[in-house]
Amino acid sequence: MISPPNDLAIHVSDLSRHVPALEGHLSILNGVDLDVKRGESLAITGPSGAGKSTLLALLAGLDRADQGAIWLAGEPLHQLDEEQRASLRGRRVGFVFQSFMLVDSLTALENVMLPLELAGGKAARSQAEALLHRVGLSQRLTHFPNQLSGGEQQRVAIARAFVSQPEILFADEPTGNLDHHNSALVEDLLFELNREHGTTLVLVTHDLTLAQRCQRQVRMVAGQLEAS
Amino acid sequence: MTPWALAWRLFRRELQGGQLRLITAALTLAVLSVTSLGLVSDRLKQGLMAQATTFLAADRVLNSPQAVAPEWLAQAEAEGLVSAQVLSFQSMIFVGEQLQLVSVKAVTAEYPLKGQIEPLTTLDSALPSLGTVWFDGRLSHLLTDFNEVELGEADLAVSGAFARLPDGGFNVFASAPTVLMRMEDVAQTGVVQPGSRLTWRYQFTGDPGAIQRFERWLLPQLTSSQRWLDVKQQDSPLSRAIERAEQFMLLATLLGIALACGAVGVAARRYCQRHLDVVAMFKTLGASHRQIRRVFMLHLALTTGLGIAAGLILGSAGAGLIGQLLPSELPLAAGDPWRAMALGIATGLIAAIGFTLYPLLRLLKVPPLRVLRRDLDPMAWGLWLNGLLSLLALSLLAWLYSGSWTMTWVLIAGAGALALLLGAVGFALLSWGRQLGIRTGSALQLALAGLRRRAGENVLQLVGFTVALMLLLTVLALRQDLLEDWQRQLPVGTPDHFLVNISPEQREPMTQFLAERSVAATELYPMIRGRLSAINGDEVRRAVTKEAEGEPGADGPRGIGRELNLTYRTTLPPNNPITAGQWFASEATDEVSVESQVALRLGIGLGDRLSFTIDGQAFSVRVTSLREVNWQTMQPNFFMIFPPAVLERFYPTYIASFYHPQDQPELVAQLIRQFPTVSVLDVGAMIHQLRDVVDQVSLALGWVLAVVLLASSLLLLAQTEAGMASRRQELAIMRTIGASGRLLRQAVSWEFALLGALSGLLAVIVAELLLFLIKTQLFDLVVQPHWIWWPTIPLLGAGLIGLLGRWACRRLLANRCAALLLR
Repeated sequence: MISPPNDLAIHVSDLSRHVPALEGHLSILNGVDLDVKRGESLAITGPSGAGKSTLLALLAGLDRADQGAIWLAGEPLHQLDEEQRASLRGRRVGFVFQSFMLVDSLTALENVMLPLELAGGKAARSQAEALLHRVGLSQRLTHFPNQLSGGEQQRVAIARAFVSQPEILFADEPTGNLDHHNSALVEDLLFELNREHGTTLVLVTHDLTLAQRCQRQVRMVAGQLEAS
Repeated sequence: MTPWALAWRLFRRELQGGQLRLITAALTLAVLSVTSLGLVSDRLKQGLMAQATTFLAADRVLNSPQAVAPEWLAQAEAEGLVSAQVLSFQSMIFVGEQLQLVSVKAVTAEYPLKGQIEPLTTLDSALPSLGTVWFDGRLSHLLTDFNEVELGEADLAVSGAFARLPDGGFNVFASAPTVLMRMEDVAQTGVVQPGSRLTWRYQFTGDPGAIQRFERWLLPQLTSSQRWLDVKQQDSPLSRAIERAEQFMLLATLLGIALACGAVGVAARRYCQRHLDVVAMFKTLGASHRQIRRVFMLHLALTTGLGIAAGLILGSAGAGLIGQLLPSELPLAAGDPWRAMALGIATGLIAAIGFTLYPLLRLLKVPPLRVLRRDLDPMAWGLWLNGLLSLLALSLLAWLYSGSWTMTWVLIAGAGALALLLGAVGFALLSWGRQLGIRTGSALQLALAGLRRRAGENVLQLVGFTVALMLLLTVLALRQDLLEDWQRQLPVGTPDHFLVNISPEQREPMTQFLAERSVAATELYPMIRGRLSAINGDEVRRAVTKEAEGEPGADGPRGIGRELNLTYRTTLPPNNPITAGQWFASEATDEVSVESQVALRLGIGLGDRLSFTIDGQAFSVRVTSLREVNWQTMQPNFFMIFPPAVLERFYPTYIASFYHPQDQPELVAQLIRQFPTVSVLDVGAMIHQLRDVVDQVSLALGWVLAVVLLASSLLLLAQTEAGMASRRQELAIMRTIGASGRLLRQAVSWEFALLGALSGLLAVIVAELLLFLIKTQLFDLVVQPHWIWWPTIPLLGAGLIGLLGRWACRRLLANRCAALLLR
């Protein structure tokens, strides 16, 4: 298989994903093709059940496709085993989730340090402190997730996503659990850091305002992508 | 910062408030149970043995009809054992003009190796000096006016009297009165000749290891007529008490371990459940399998290490505390602390691995996709696999700790029965639950709906609650039964004095004497000494020697060749249940009732004809009943009982036993003054010693119960916590849509109470089954259903578990608002 051009952060061709169902199997994704350039911001929108989150999971290597190829940061994700995919994620990918996914028993600072520690990196503390300062949480370093508001938790999650300076950031409904004010705060932060770090941003959202802040939008309908 | 540091940080945080604390506590309890009970039971066993060995006067005794080769004693000496020799034979002594059959005990200077000779008169040395004898209290009526006895060709001075020899045995009527003399004087009596019937007892004492080595060397060389005795083979009331206490402690400790393991399992499952998202997130952030395994293995290792260390420390402290609480006259022997410690460590490791392995494996299998799809489970909750692993671990622990396949089998059977029963109930609940949804009309309706909806989860809850209640019930009931069994043997008012040698003329005055002083006494039993000469026409000694001497522990054949104490009466004595045949009619003329154990040893069956010789007159009778005799009761007991018509023609003496009331200190002196020919034997000291042993054991049983109670509480707590976790989300939703805290607390209380009631009922069913198995297979106790449990335990279960649920719910609702719960 020929590797994609270097300017592509993500290259997807003929991607399909099925799940077992009562009548044989159910197609979640059906022959999806997608290219995302390095540094580009892409929003994937679409109705519930269209396959947005499944596509995100496949792009990030969290799940395996039944068919098709995915090149992530120049590496053939579809050919890697679970350990190699984890390693690739650790080196090149960041995540922000709707439900924040912070570790309850770690403080805000420790949560942000986590990716660096898992990668065995040095100076995790100073880098994490700097990012928490950047997202406006320098007073909250030693607070545990249950001592933070939803908006603050998502800002911690954003700091954690950027601390390892990923090439690609995946965000799944990053503002889905937040009020208007906090949504705006988190969106600003996401795009500012995206620009500052030159990160490729792929986000899944129902929020059209958020989607419109991205350089490109694609719409997912019944397991297939439509340009919007 | 290394992943180790991350693991350590997570561990510290988890320990501050989470399931790791519960797992640590449960492991601590398991190790504590094993270590403390190991130490206590080891020390207690040795303490009891030390007590009991005083009844043997040694640690081990070799019984032999002839002197053994000197090399044997040399080998014992080479092993560092101290030995004493006792030569026993029967002979006639002359006291003045009177002739008396006595049992002579000639001893070497080292006698007794354990215990003490209880004096009746002042004794100025440890043993009679050369050329003198000490006599048994039963001979006091003969010796009051004489200070010399004639034994064979020797005249020996009487220099003292003893009440009891340490190895005198408990059956004071079994043999002729004893005369104690020095081994060195035997030769001058000329009584011991080739062909004389002698019993050599070689007594040994020393370090347990040395005894074991000597035992291994000696046993293969013993002939069928030689017997190697330890205290358990001695026919003493202690041996059964010791065995039962040992078994109970073993069993209860095992149940305690099972409970603690249950708590480990429940807490580990909850811990792993709570960390599914964390592991999924770690994987998403790029952590390798190895890194994640390292984090959680370190948690397990640290938890296990902490639990084991705390268990060892607390266990040793608990054992020390028990040592302090023991009566001062019963010092504990030093046990082998290393064995108990090693067992404790092994228990901690096996419990940790066996009961956390499956949840941990499951945790490590969680897919990273769970960060997007929270409903994804790593693998279906393989109840059977988890159960199998747990059962394997439990079996290994049971076998390791008890070394008994029977006990292991009983435990596994109990667990299997429980699994089947709960499986069936769970299945029923599941089928019932499919038909229903949420109904919120009242707290009870809400609870019922919840119970049905979470049927699968509730089966696991049921297991936890039921196991905790069931094992607690089992230990409680067993302890009670054992204590009652012991109390029955030595109730308040147990006779502590025996009256021997009452002539027929003294019978009425003696009865009157005792009645006037309101002394509780047994009836007066006529006693006639006679010899069993033939069974179905075969001479007894020839008939029994070949058959029975090879039997380990068979004391009868050699003893039965001597004269027996025979009695006659019309009614069956108390504590003598008939095991075969029928008690004879009062007018019967040629029947006999035989004690069942002696009948077994001699091969006597119903319908056999036994020939006896009394005062030179021979007669024969037919065996019409076999009786079980409880030799541990302090009352006259007999191997052979005849109808009056058979023995009335012989001149009897009478015996009786009575309890000496403390408010009549002059009673015995008055009795001796009024009946100078009657011997009074004081066995109060012996009873006191027995009571001390029972007290000692009871104390240990109390400790066992406390440990089991703690383990049960821990399991209940772990299960309640786990139960609340599954209700957390639902409570949050109900709270959000406006349900009052009161309604939710009531609903949760009801739900837990219903689970508690069902657990209580199941616990009663399984506990009764388990008790049946334990009592019939291990303890030889009477099985009786506990009817009172059937209504009370479900009610108690409902109350207790309902309250626990209410407490947990109140905590949850008080500490966190609905929004926080929803996160």
